[in-house]
Amino acid sequence: MTAKILTFSSHGDTTLLEYDPATADMEEVNRVIAEYEAKTGAQPFDMTTGERIEKVTRRQNEVLMVHPIAGG
Amino acid sequence: MVPLALSLIPFLAVTLRRFVFTGMGREWPVGEIDAPRPRQNGPLEQGLYIIDPTGLTLVAGELENRADGADPVDRKYRAQRYLCRIVALTGATQIGGGYALDVDTTRFKVRDGYVRRVQDVTNPKCGYEETCFYPAHEEMPKAEQIATALLQLKNNPALFDGWVAQNHVAFKADGQVFTRAQ
Repeated sequence: MTAKILTFSSHGDTTLLEYDPATADMEEVNRVIAEYEAKTGAQPFDMTTGERIEKVTRRQNEVLMVHPIAGG
Repeated sequence: MVPLALSLIPFLAVTLRRFVFTGMGREWPVGEIDAPRPRQNGPLEQGLYIIDPTGLTLVAGELENRADGADPVDRKYRAQRYLCRIVALTGATQIGGGYALDVDTTRFKVRDGYVRRVQDVTNPKCGYEETCFYPAHEEMPKAEQIATALLQLKNNPALFDGWVAQNHVAFKADGQVFTRAQ
């Protein structure tokens, strides 16, 4: 089974990362996510529950990085 | 002779019509809708590499600035599909050209580029506030913009206060201000 981290971007939905949740190094997954958040401000949401998550675990199969929104 | 010729006209007309339209049948677009095509990453796929032994497949290069080979129709279709999923996840409902999202007694109405808040939907005299909104990726498909706003408001309805109070300031989903310098 493959899990993926995706985001909505100017190109539509874009897969950032794919991995096997059974064998992947989750520290590495979270490091990539943290780097992406630092760069873009996007934060991870579990696409099964619709809830924001602090850290990705092996239970999440699809995580959406949600970009910041501004008002105006 | 003349009556015989006249009686043959309808027969010939039907035969001719069948002959002509059978030939055209394959080319007539009536009622045909292109089935959704599988995603074609094109150059994106070429940019994939596998970091072993962690089992990660990471997209190489700039994560933000990659060109996705998918055509605009496919992209729009997928954006709409994600919006449908997120509408279901958040319990929002489609109303007219927008989506209504209830969080406790607060109702948000999200549509293309605008979000309206009625703080107490049980009070018919309760007024509303409205603001524009835009995501960090301004070229994001409209459906995905709406999906982003629905997800964020469902998880953190107080974000709306920030959007109203501080124009053109980007807020992360957790409510923190985001600046490019971070």
